[in-house]
Amino acid sequence: MTNSPYATTPDREIVIARTIDAPRELVFSAFTDVRHLSRWWGPDGFTTTTRSFAFREGGAWDFVMHAPDGSHYLNWIVWREITPPERIALMHGESAQDPDAFESIFTFVDHGETTEITMRTVFPTAALRARAVEQYHAIELGGQTLDCLAAYVAEHR
Amino acid sequence: MAGMARAATTSDAFNAIAEPLRRDILDVLRAGDRPVLELVGELGIAQPSVSKHLKVLREVHLVHVREAGRRRIYSLDARGLRSVHAWAGGFEEFWNESFDSLNAYVQGLKGGDTGGTPR
Repeated sequence: MTNSPYATTPDREIVIARTIDAPRELVFSAFTDVRHLSRWWGPDGFTTTTRSFAFREGGAWDFVMHAPDGSHYLNWIVWREITPPERIALMHGESAQDPDAFESIFTFVDHGETTEITMRTVFPTAALRARAVEQYHAIELGGQTLDCLAAYVAEHR
Repeated sequence: MAGMARAATTSDAFNAIAEPLRRDILDVLRAGDRPVLELVGELGIAQPSVSKHLKVLREVHLVHVREAGRRRIYSLDARGLRSVHAWAGGFEEFWNESFDSLNAYVQGLKGGDTGGTPR
């Protein structure tokens, strides 16, 4: 599901929504502790090494993502807003000084036994959006989506 | 200013579609092939501007052109679009797979297991 219900800046944002089969408080808690985050963050086959972690507004998560092919990706996240259990806004870049860091806003909607997460990422410019998806694509190539890409390319040749 | 194609943005499909008017042209062409004059009419943009944008889109293989008598008919070109779709899929794949993992992980938390070891 990639449609955008908040499409005020569609040329420089990406919206991804997902229903998680667990109550909202539990889903939110999986975002609050590096013990949890390190278990699910990133595509299949990736691992993370955390250098520092402070879950509070203004706090940072400094970590490295390791791809199955041995590539390493620096990550620097700063939490801008934490409103349990409804909303988390963060800046995501490669380092504290990354001028191309972008904002992602996670909202958690309570549906009883399930929770709808919407992640809205707003890039400073449309060009940075294009660059970010390109970089993430490169990250994915370190994972296991190469086969999907190959199939896609073959299909659209 | 709106409508002017800039040479600096012609290097690849991503730069080409950063210009809203060029995305408008692609939107119209998605509905079907068009001669230039029909694009001008549907978009309400002056013909020289539309032609400049079409030239940019052609150079990065987002549209192609064929001659039909004295008319030039434009259509979408899958070659440039392929790379755009593939790149865009990367970001979404990253998060779709992360959310898959999150969904599986929180099932383990339901039993009250709030511990877990970093992987």
